Amino acid sequence: MKHLLTRPRRAAALAAGSLLLVSALSACAGSDPGIKPAAAAGAPVHGGNLTYLDAEIPISAQVQESGYWQDRAILWNVLDRLVYRNPETNKLEPWLAEKWTVSPDGRTYEFVIRDGVTYSDGSPLDVESVKRNLEWQIKGDPDNAISPNPIFPKAATITTDAASRTVTVELPKPYAPFLGVLTNWSSGLVADKTIDASREDQLKFKNLIGSGAFVVTEETYGKKYVLSARKEYAWAPPSWKNQGAAYLDTVTIVPVQEDAVRLGTLKSGQGDLLRYIQPSEEQALADQGFHVVARSGVGLVNQWALRQVAPVVQDVDVRRAIQHGIDRDALVDNLYTENWGAAQSLLSPGTLGFSDKTAQFAYDPDESEKLLDEAGWTGTDDDGYRTKDGKTLTVETYVDVFDNTARVLFQAIQAQLKEIGIHLDIKETDYSSYGTKAYGPTTAALRTGWPGGDPAVTLWNTYRVEGWNSASLDPKDPAAAQITKLLNAAVDATSEEDEAAALDKAQDYLIDQAYAIPLLNDSQVYVAGTDVQGFDLSDGGLPEYHNAWKTED
Amino acid sequence: MTRRRFIVRRTAQALLVIWLSYTLTFFTLFVLPGDPIYNKLHSPINPLPPEAAEPLMRYYNFDLPVVEQYLLSLGRFLTGDFGYSLQTGHAVSELLAEALPQTLVLAAAGLVVALVLALTVALTAVFAPVAAVRGVARLLPGLFISTPSFVLGFALLQVFSFRLGWFASFGDQGWKTYVLPAITLGIAVTGPIAQVLLTGLGKASGQPFVTVLRAKGVPPVTIAGRHILKNGSIPALTLLALTVGDLLAGAVVVETVFNMTGLGMITQQAVRDQDTPVVMAIVVLVSATYVLINLVTDLLYPVIDPRISIAPPPRRRRRPAVVREPIAVPARDLGGREVTA
Repeated sequence: MKHLLTRPRRAAALAAGSLLLVSALSACAGSDPGIKPAAAAGAPVHGGNLTYLDAEIPISAQVQESGYWQDRAILWNVLDRLVYRNPETNKLEPWLAEKWTVSPDGRTYEFVIRDGVTYSDGSPLDVESVKRNLEWQIKGDPDNAISPNPIFPKAATITTDAASRTVTVELPKPYAPFLGVLTNWSSGLVADKTIDASREDQLKFKNLIGSGAFVVTEETYGKKYVLSARKEYAWAPPSWKNQGAAYLDTVTIVPVQEDAVRLGTLKSGQGDLLRYIQPSEEQALADQGFHVVARSGVGLVNQWALRQVAPVVQDVDVRRAIQHGIDRDALVDNLYTENWGAAQSLLSPGTLGFSDKTAQFAYDPDESEKLLDEAGWTGTDDDGYRTKDGKTLTVETYVDVFDNTARVLFQAIQAQLKEIGIHLDIKETDYSSYGTKAYGPTTAALRTGWPGGDPAVTLWNTYRVEGWNSASLDPKDPAAAQITKLLNAAVDATSEEDEAAALDKAQDYLIDQAYAIPLLNDSQVYVAGTDVQGFDLSDGGLPEYHNAWKTED
Repeated sequence: MTRRRFIVRRTAQALLVIWLSYTLTFFTLFVLPGDPIYNKLHSPINPLPPEAAEPLMRYYNFDLPVVEQYLLSLGRFLTGDFGYSLQTGHAVSELLAEALPQTLVLAAAGLVVALVLALTVALTAVFAPVAAVRGVARLLPGLFISTPSFVLGFALLQVFSFRLGWFASFGDQGWKTYVLPAITLGIAVTGPIAQVLLTGLGKASGQPFVTVLRAKGVPPVTIAGRHILKNGSIPALTLLALTVGDLLAGAVVVETVFNMTGLGMITQQAVRDQDTPVVMAIVVLVSATYVLINLVTDLLYPVIDPRISIAPPPRRRRRPAVVREPIAVPARDLGGREVTA
């Protein structure tokens, strides 16, 4: 985890008029904002409430479907998983599975389930419960319109032995990401009562019955979500400093959607923790003693998939020109802080299969110009963009509504691409139509790449034609078959070494053919008040409240 | 036309308006690009597998022909079943029951702020003895109109919540919850009301009956309060009814800034997520509120000015009921709302 040290540059112009007015009025109001230096960490303090200001309203608690960050953040603290990924070492640790074995052919997984674990409704988390959860994740519940979990294997035979507390999972073929998948936020185990609930009830957070350190005790849609610590909790992953119940009594999650209000609320001491600030704010807050906590999650880096439905990027030379026309270091220097970094590959650093591939897509505008000349984009229009047969070289993209820095990032890339004669046409839409428009027939560059429990399965799902097919390849295109073959090799591997080697080859191909354009090592940034201690993030950048406490004033 | 017949007729019209709003919204949502299921399947951060589509479509009846979906939805609505949010699983009626009171209190408080401010500004602009004060007062409606709500809201929060700590920026604090939002919302709608009131008062104060009253020695305060204000406020009353729409629309911004979970926030979230059942219920609710307030306003005209009465429309004109002045009065403008001499 990184704590902010360096001074960022201003990312973009802020809403100058309103801020000036606010500043002027604030000055009139006088009085110090009450910012104190960070308190020294001491012995953990038990009790109290931590108010977390999220940028979004939690939407759905349905385990397989919920994907919004704010939903994940609740699921992460209410549910436990069979396996835990230590965010500092990236190694897998026991959690609800106290140990496991994998057969040499990669098809049989045997988990020994921890004894004495209970769900928050008092029911036991035993082998039968684990079996039911795994089957529910794999098959979904079509009668209740519950989807299978897209990262789980498609089929498995699951048997149990209560005496030895063993659950055995037999897969029809190897599935190398399986253990990684079990660490994911969406792989948390729930009680029978949650599985048996109607679809509508499963969407509500209060009906989420897990074995986690917290339980949702109050839910008022859009207003307040209270997580209360379970005093009997005693089954934390080994690497957690706190092996007992959470130090805090409660965590109150309050969605505050306006950035300025969220920040003002934290600064005035009305909140203890927030998510989402502009990178340009990080240094000032660190200087004022706030804890800026960030993590670049396990999974994929922030990247563009160049969609083959758009004719302009069907030419590999144009795709490569885009790849070499982006100066990632300049983007980070100008827009971000040291919590962010230039992408070095398609996978984030430290994850299985990561290796530095910067040389393959290094910033080289001369190379880009040469490629575009060779591709026949030799004319120039009145705005200085390249043309071919009277048509301007235009690459269309949509600002990702789920990424709070996407607009300024894309604008900076737009300026860089203009230097080589490419017109990046940035379009914007709202949440409701983003899925339709960003995946529409004219979008050439699609922002993708998010943290995931296992990088192999995320890459596999993202680019495989039978998966999410982010590059929108025609299934008949030989490249589609090649990508599927390379990614399948990673997923079908029976050892970590083979999986890493296959991931390496798959990334080489995607980068070499420039179907994928690495951009940034993304980061989730949280700011905690000066009296918050021990607050940590999961491997995917989700908040972990279990080890946090507040110093006494 | 009797008052009872007028009410029946207007109620029928109101129901027609509500049904049209419902129908229009339903089909508009249907033809918009994307739908909640499509969005779930193509969510960039957690796309669902294609095999999830069919059960979801079946569960929410999206597999039925659109007309069948419409009739099913309308039938449920007529029985009071608003359904469940597609996104959150909450019963729509519960969401509305939670959000509506907050927005109604906010809108009412905002309206009070707007009325007090508009009256103060208009009376000052017309009756202040110093010309400079009248001039400044005349500028204020324009200033109110041109001040964006979110800027004002942020400024109030910054000063009175973040700095002075008088109000919390979120959560329930009883009546204090509504102070800053009501001021923000009220100022946003004050401008037009003040402007129309100011013009109405100006015109009324120039009427011959004012000269007569003055000649009879009636105190100026009585003339202003009892006679000019009463006559000059008719156009503002009409505008007031229309202001309800502005208050509800303004609530979206104000509730977001002040972190209130009222109808505005629910609307914003539902539209964003294409949460059809919630959007439909809100449209019907707002339509009903709108037509109800306009009906009440029409009934209030004769109360404020006894010369105005509810009258049947001219025979050859198929138009909604009109109010007219049955007795001959000196020709003058009473606000132009189908008032005939």
